[in-house]
Amino acid sequence: MSVESFLFVLSGGIVLGALYALMASGLAVVWSTLGIFNFSHGAFIALGAYIGWQVSNAEALGLGHVAGLSATLVVMFAAGILFQQIFIRPFERKDNIIAATVITTLAGATILQNAMLLIWGPRAKQIVAIAEGTISIGPVAFSGNDIALIVMVALILGFAGWLLARTRTGRSMRAVAQNRQAAELMGLNVPLLYALAFGLSAAMAGMAGYFVGSIRFINPTFGADPLMKALIVVIFGGIARFTSPIYAALIVGLVESFTIFYLGLYWAPAMLFAMMTVVLTIKPSGLFGHHQRTL
Amino acid sequence: MRYDPPFHLTNGLIPTVVTVVLLAVFPFVFDASYLRHLLILAMVFAIVAASWDLSFGYGGLLNFAHVALFAVGIYAYGILAKTYGVNPWLAILLSGPIVALVASFMVLPVLRLDGMYVILVTIAFSQILYQIVISQSQITGGTSGMVTLPMLQIDGYRFVKDGKIGYYYTAFVLMVGSVGALFLITRSALGRSIVALRDNKYYAQARGVSEWKTRLATLAVSAFFVGIAGGFYGSYVRVASPDIFGIGSLTLVLSILLVGGLGTIWGPVIAAFIIILLSESMASLGPWRDILIAILIVAVMIFYPGGLWGVVQELRELAQNMRSSMMARYRRGAERAVRQKITGIPEQMIDTAHGRIAVVDIGPSAQHAGPPILFLHGNSACKEAFQNQFAHFRDRHRLIAFDLPGHGVSDNGSPEQTYNVIAYADIAEEILQKLGVERPFVVGWSLGGYNALELTSRNPAAYSGVVTTGTSPLTVAPDDFARGHNAKSHIILAGKQYLTGRETVTLASHATVPKSDKSAFLHRNVRRTDGRARYYMITKLTVVDWPRQMRMLREGDIPVAIMNGDDDPFLNHRYIADLPFGNVWKGHPTDIPGGRHAPFFNQPEVFNRELEAFFEAAVKDRTLRRSA
Repeated sequence: MSVESFLFVLSGGIVLGALYALMASGLAVVWSTLGIFNFSHGAFIALGAYIGWQVSNAEALGLGHVAGLSATLVVMFAAGILFQQIFIRPFERKDNIIAATVITTLAGATILQNAMLLIWGPRAKQIVAIAEGTISIGPVAFSGNDIALIVMVALILGFAGWLLARTRTGRSMRAVAQNRQAAELMGLNVPLLYALAFGLSAAMAGMAGYFVGSIRFINPTFGADPLMKALIVVIFGGIARFTSPIYAALIVGLVESFTIFYLGLYWAPAMLFAMMTVVLTIKPSGLFGHHQRTL
Repeated sequence: MRYDPPFHLTNGLIPTVVTVVLLAVFPFVFDASYLRHLLILAMVFAIVAASWDLSFGYGGLLNFAHVALFAVGIYAYGILAKTYGVNPWLAILLSGPIVALVASFMVLPVLRLDGMYVILVTIAFSQILYQIVISQSQITGGTSGMVTLPMLQIDGYRFVKDGKIGYYYTAFVLMVGSVGALFLITRSALGRSIVALRDNKYYAQARGVSEWKTRLATLAVSAFFVGIAGGFYGSYVRVASPDIFGIGSLTLVLSILLVGGLGTIWGPVIAAFIIILLSESMASLGPWRDILIAILIVAVMIFYPGGLWGVVQELRELAQNMRSSMMARYRRGAERAVRQKITGIPEQMIDTAHGRIAVVDIGPSAQHAGPPILFLHGNSACKEAFQNQFAHFRDRHRLIAFDLPGHGVSDNGSPEQTYNVIAYADIAEEILQKLGVERPFVVGWSLGGYNALELTSRNPAAYSGVVTTGTSPLTVAPDDFARGHNAKSHIILAGKQYLTGRETVTLASHATVPKSDKSAFLHRNVRRTDGRARYYMITKLTVVDWPRQMRMLREGDIPVAIMNGDDDPFLNHRYIADLPFGNVWKGHPTDIPGGRHAPFFNQPEVFNRELEAFFEAAVKDRTLRRSA
């Protein structure tokens, strides 16, 4: 294998990893705070892509990328809160919250998916590339869009990390994630924080959708694959810290990239799921996990 | 060992037989092949959902690979029957064990994990299965699947002929067989181990339930049936498509399971028919159909977490409440004279905090030299049970007795508030106060014995004495309840909400005496009794302050007599004899020779004599302990 192809595969893996990191961090925020797994995360990713397309693309409103990303952020944040109020809130105090929310979020995904089908139709759409051209580093040429994606994802994750680590609201969210009862006794508004965490997660999913929409075709079921990848990443890395899914995402992206290159396209998902099953069986809290739940 | 009557003696028999017969004659009434097609699909999905219920509902294993296993069953049929040319019937039969084998690979991660992680690992497992199917396109046809799978036929008769009648009956037999087998499994030792592991893993293990064997059996059995269903489905639609692995079919089967109700077997079977027909009738709505079904799932989860089966149970409870309270209202007016003839004492209705209560009270009179006596009847009985005592004591004592709420001709109460020993004692207090009765003897039978102990232990000085008959005093509920009673099947009947005809007779005969002219009136009261009164009374045993009663029996200064029939089928006599009684008359329980659970009823002479002697002794000297 030549150095060029190795670097090519490597860079592809890093781009995938960056996107997976964004998807998985959103999923991890909900899991660690609310203690549930959101199977609508994939539908959120698709919805974000559609909203971005609607606002930014020339065929629709044509307001450009800045407006597109901002609209996705705001609308998805609101949609996330609305979704949480309808599909999660009624079960918050129930014993069977885990199973119940698996079912309601699956149902929510079905509703969102079909609503998107009704609104935007089955025809595939694509968001125009965020940056044109290529940048050559050494012997390899990187596409400008890939570089832009990596930079934007890093910025968003950095911002989300700052939000959770440094702001009062973010710290309250982490407190709720660590111990709901104690946080309530300290006077934190837990229902509000739950809603905010869900909104944040949905906004991150929407952004991820926007970026994936610029490299792949958007259709109503386009969230299914990202959901599975985010699931693998979150399990693989655990949710011990905000950064665990990010590292895990990079590993998963690279493994996927190299598996496709060496073993073929069809083997990559099976490989990843097998990896996840092994990690789950040996260390259920994930590669970077420990027992306490936090953000 | 929990008591479950054999199926043919339960309330489920008639509805099941009616449904089976209706499904069996259906093709003779309707010959529309499309309708038969829908029913065939519904029967297949009934097997898929009911077998999932074994692992998901009964086992509490959040196993989300079940629908993928259904797909594996379809592919197993396809590969066996088409690629290897195996006889289609044999291929369906083999799909079961093949899928069970595939499912058993999940046991290791499932054993290691809990809750959410089981969901994730089983979803991952189903994705791996999907990816294997997709990637092995030379065997499975890859993304385009397998088509023109062999169909079922016998001697050249193709089952799709005559409006799919062959397929209809094959599906019918498979469904009845699978659901029946699943039902039997849930009631077998394996089924009980499965439920025990779900409810309390460590306790179950401590009692010798092997976790890995049980989990493996759960997964394999549940997969076996879904494999058979998959094999049959493959032979029917004649296509094996990777779409079945998708989230769409998962949501469909999940909605059948949840709308039906988890842990019920029957619920998902009923829901399969409803959901499949509903979903087909909305086929013209396009995406709206999926949206509406998803909304239905969420609504059921929010408003009826127990599913359709929960609704059925609620309706049944409502019907029982209405029937029993109408019966009480009718008898209150129409049979007043009959009751007065039996008891010889006038009846009145008294309003209490727990509804209107039917009370008999002969009222104070000059010749009533002894203290008043309050009689408290037992579970599923009525105040007329004490007719022999009324006749014997009415000349010398003022006698009071009443029907408990939900019993006799009293009103039904609210289950949460009224049907427990504490509320029963409250009612007794209220009635004594309203009638102005002071320092009575309290005689309690069975459940009434608990009520009597609860009532008197609150303020022993306010009572002349207490007698229990057919009662095992408790220290710790429910442990002592199990210890103090004879672990025979009929003790379960005392807490069973719905009794079948046969169970009614069993309970009434064991509680009093076999049916005769004299006991017929008591037997009728079992059917009148609000089933919730039995059920809630037992489940709320733990709210009573039992140690206080025990303290009273051990060291209180109130005269106590324990009079049990020596042939009582409910009581554990050794447990009662070993209790640390203090101020008990004679220093030990008084056995009534030949007495059953209601010795005052079947041996009235002996019982009345003993009761009279106790009253005399207690009136003479409250501290029986010192005089004994």
